[in-house]
This record gives sequence, C-alpha cells and structure tokens, in this order.
Amino acid sequence: MVSSTVDATQAGPTRHIAGESKSPLAKFGRRAVVGLPLFLLAVWTFIPFLVTISISFKTKFESYANLGLVPQDPSLSAYKEVLADPNFLSAFLNSVIVGFGTAILTIIIGLPAAYAFARFRFRGRHLLLLFTLLPRLVPSIGIMVPIYRLAVATNMLDRRLTLIIVYSGMLAPLAVWLMVGFFQQIPRDIEEAADVDGATLWQRLRYIVMPLAAPALITIAVLAFREAWNEFTLVLVLTTTPDARTLPFALFKLGQSEGLSNFPAEAAFAMITVIPFIFVYTRIERYVVAGLTSGSGK
Amino acid sequence: MTATRERTQSPQTPDGRREYAGGPIGQSKATPYLFSFPAILAVSAMLAFPVLYGIWESLYRAPELGLPEDFVGIQNYTDMFRDPDFWNSLYRTAIFVGGCLAIGTALGLFFAFALFRASGRLRFMRAATLAPYLISNVAAAVMFRLLFQSDLGLINTFLAWFGVDGPSWLSDTTWAMAVVIFTQVWTDIPLTILLLLGGLMTIDQSYLDAALVDGATPWQRARHLTIPLLAPQLVITTVWLSYSTLTGLGVVLALTGGGPLGSTTTMAMEMYNVAFRALRFNQALALATFILVLNALLTLLYLKVAQKYEVEL
Repeated sequence: MVSSTVDATQAGPTRHIAGESKSPLAKFGRRAVVGLPLFLLAVWTFIPFLVTISISFKTKFESYANLGLVPQDPSLSAYKEVLADPNFLSAFLNSVIVGFGTAILTIIIGLPAAYAFARFRFRGRHLLLLFTLLPRLVPSIGIMVPIYRLAVATNMLDRRLTLIIVYSGMLAPLAVWLMVGFFQQIPRDIEEAADVDGATLWQRLRYIVMPLAAPALITIAVLAFREAWNEFTLVLVLTTTPDARTLPFALFKLGQSEGLSNFPAEAAFAMITVIPFIFVYTRIERYVVAGLTSGSGK
Repeated sequence: MTATRERTQSPQTPDGRREYAGGPIGQSKATPYLFSFPAILAVSAMLAFPVLYGIWESLYRAPELGLPEDFVGIQNYTDMFRDPDFWNSLYRTAIFVGGCLAIGTALGLFFAFALFRASGRLRFMRAATLAPYLISNVAAAVMFRLLFQSDLGLINTFLAWFGVDGPSWLSDTTWAMAVVIFTQVWTDIPLTILLLLGGLMTIDQSYLDAALVDGATPWQRARHLTIPLLAPQLVITTVWLSYSTLTGLGVVLALTGGGPLGSTTTMAMEMYNVAFRALRFNQALALATFILVLNALLTLLYLKVAQKYEVEL
C-alpha cells in the first residue's frame, strides 16, 4: 500500500520542541487534547463490558432493584446457575471441539498450499492462487442457504464435523494469504543449505519452515479459533439440537426464553464465553494485530 | 530429467535445484499441485460452489415445500422486485449501511488519531481497543440489550440525570435501528481503527513538521495533510465497512431479530426470514444473489471514486 517509511526518531523530539511553549494552562490543554479522546475511547470500548460484568454479579432480584454499576451484595449465583446448566456444558464442549478442530484443519489445509505458492514455480500458479484468495470476499449470507441444503442432502446437519469443515473452508483464503506472505520472508538460503546437506522436503518443512513460521501459525490458529468460537449465523442454520450447538447459539437461546428476563444469567453466560478468549489474546496480541492488518488490508 | 526440462523452460527460476534434490515427494512435478489441492478443494466446496449453486438455484422454484423444483427463469427476481417487503428492507439497509459508514468512519478516525498520539504507558490502549472484535455478535447483543434497557439500562439512567426521559430503545420502531447501528459500529470499529492507525503510522512525519513550522493549525493539518494522506486507508475501511454491514446478519439477528414490527429488517435479515422462517429457499437465494451483486457494485463505485480523486491503493 503506502510505501513511505515510518520515521519514529523524528516524531519524538519535534513534538517536544512544539510542546516547549508557554503556561501551565497550555500544558494542561495539550494533555487534555491527548487524554480526552483516549478517555472517550476507553468509555466506548469498556462500558458495555463493565455493565455486563456488574450485572453478572447481581442476583436476579437485585438486577431489577439496583440500577447502579456496583452490586450491593456481589454474588456468584448467576455464574453458578450458568455452570450448572447442561445446555451450557454441552455448548461449551462443542465450542472447544469445533474451535480446536477448525484451527487444526485450517492449518492442515492452508500450510502446504501456502508453501507451494510461496516456494514452487509451477504452471497455473498465479491463477490457482487467485482462485484460492478471491473467495475471501464471499460473505456467509451468500453461502448460508446452499450450505444448509447441501448439509440436509448429505445428512450432515447437526454435526460438529460439518461446522469444522465449513469454517475451515471459509478461513482457508485468509490462512493461505497470511502464510504465503510469511513464507516469502523466510530466506531461501536456509532451505537451500539444508537441501545441499540432503534434507528431504518433509525434513525441511518439519525442522526449518514450521519453526520459523510459528508466529504465522499461531496467528492463524487464533483467528480460526475466534471465528469458530464466535460464529453465530451458520451454526444457527446448521444445527437443530443441542448436540452440535456452540456457545453463541446457546447464549442466543437463553435470551429468547420466555418470561421475566434473567439478566444476571445472560450477563454471566456472555462473560464466560468472552473471558477465556480475551485472556489468550492478551498473551499473543502482537502477532494477531499484525496478522489482522495484513489480512484485511489487501 | 524432469528438473532439467523445468529449468530450460524457465531459466530465470532461481531455485531450479529444489526440484530434483528434495527427497521422494520433492522429486515429483506434481508436488505443488498435491500441496495446494486441499486448499483449492476446500475453497471450491465451501465458497465457490455454494455461491454458484445458489445463483443457479435462484432460477428454480418449488410449487409447494417439498415438491420438486421447476425452472422458472427470472421469476423469483421479478416477484422480488414487486414485493413491498423487498423495497422496505432495501430502504432500511440503506439507512443501516449509511449510518454505520458515517458513524464508523468518523469515530474510527477520531479514535485512530487518539491512539496515534498515545505514548508510553497509554499504548496498552491499542491492544485493548480490539476487545469488541474478539467477542461474538451474540455476546455484543446481550451487552447492548442490557445497556439500552428502557427502565434499567445505563443509557437511560444516564439520560435521566439530565432530566431526559429516554425512549424504550429496542421496542421503539425508530430508535431500534439506531441501537442496531450503534452495536454494529461497536463490533466493527476495532478493525477500522487498526487500519487507519496503520495508515497514520506510515505518514512521513516531516510533512507534518513542515506544516507545523509554517504555522498550520491542528485542524488545517488534519484537513489538508493527514486526511488526504490517509485516503488509501479510508477507501479500504469504506469498502470493508460497507461489505460488513451490507452482508452482516449476526448483530441484527441477535439484537432485534429484525423487529420491532420489522423496523430493523435489513436485506440480510429479510433473506434469513424468507429462507428459514418462510422456508422459501429459492426466493431467498434470489435475494442473496441481489445482495452479492449490490456489494460488488458498491465496491466498484468506491474504487471508481477513489480513482477519480487519484488515490493510489
């Protein structure tokens, strides 16, 4: 895209010179110019989370009586209720299986293809690469009805395997795109040296390429897991019983139930689906951000 | 042998050697095809084929659910264009996409500038901004339903401080769309911010310094320097936001289900209703095809506009 370079060394001092001026009031003003938008960003991003966390620690009764952000008598009853719910447990298990399954299958599909596109010269290479990447632009509503009818016709409705296959297929373009870019950055010399020493293709892949590509593999695994963990509309269509339902569907069901809404249970359920992933993400944020921008910026 | 021929065919290939010294699999000319086959199969089976099959099936119709389908040509489309529900959903989609684009881009720019200036310890905000991207549409919908509860929600409690009697957002046919737009922007904005921030970081700082020396005000710098320099990223975020909202179903479905009284039924939602509530699959496929075409046309339009203003992507 834009090819001009980042010159980080210039940014600092210049701003300092510009900021050397005048009164404490001006100083405060400059701080506010930086601080206020950031504060608004924090409010925008975190208020929905805070409200949900707050309600999740209230009892059902308190959720109707106390509107404040701080629960008067913090209680884990909503969490206990959710964790004891068999629908939650089966959905959680399904989500874990579908999430890991999708991450693994996406890499199994994407890795060899990306390696081939990045390293081999073969006839039709560009056309095949384009054919693999272009469907990235297909939205899930475009395939929803056909996939549903295919699943019905092949008796694949309501199976975790169906979800894994569908998600992996949808993620394959992204995976190939990210890994091709990554493999091209790995110097050929290393592989050529190994080649001269008599390493087989498999050995080169196993002991050179894969360890070097670990950041890309982690990124793809995380993005694939995220997609499978969060995807909602296809799982709604492709499952009919709790056998294969994932967490978003179970949470949706909870919100649809009749009677007086159980806000704390909904909030606790939402937080339980969110927290593990945010925890994992904070550890590997670096890779994911890089992967996201290069993946969606094309 | 194979390798020698390969090399003479393309003498510029720097790694002809790899072709014959790669062990049992590596020797074969078929290796790259074998390697890329799973991905090509997966993409064909899960993306390319369903789309084409869906377009083809939109030319058929079953007289009754369960009966064999007859070829009806473009009748599903002509019926669709005569259906007032279609035009209503198109109108709501225009509001939805337009609203999300306007608010998403404006807020995205504002927040990207904010993050760009954040230094030192405040940099953690960059990572934290991504949080809404990491959660499911259903979880976001739960959060925003709690936030916009008519009697108990934080928004109305907040408005009450100023003596404003907030509406019952999600059961009001006007306000429900506003909440849906708001929620959709919330889930989509992390990527917008990330892309714009990436653009800001590639801008050559010396331009800004020169402007600073010439005494340009912050507004002038933003208006005449930064935003034009950000044009490529703005085009990309526009294309992406437009795609994401035009085809987005998760937020609407989880938050309002298209209600109240159909006031948030966008085209994607209408497609879902026709397919999975009315079970008129072929008609739904006509609508889905229309959405895909509209998306392609909009993308072309954005790129044309970008070309007109000589934005280099």
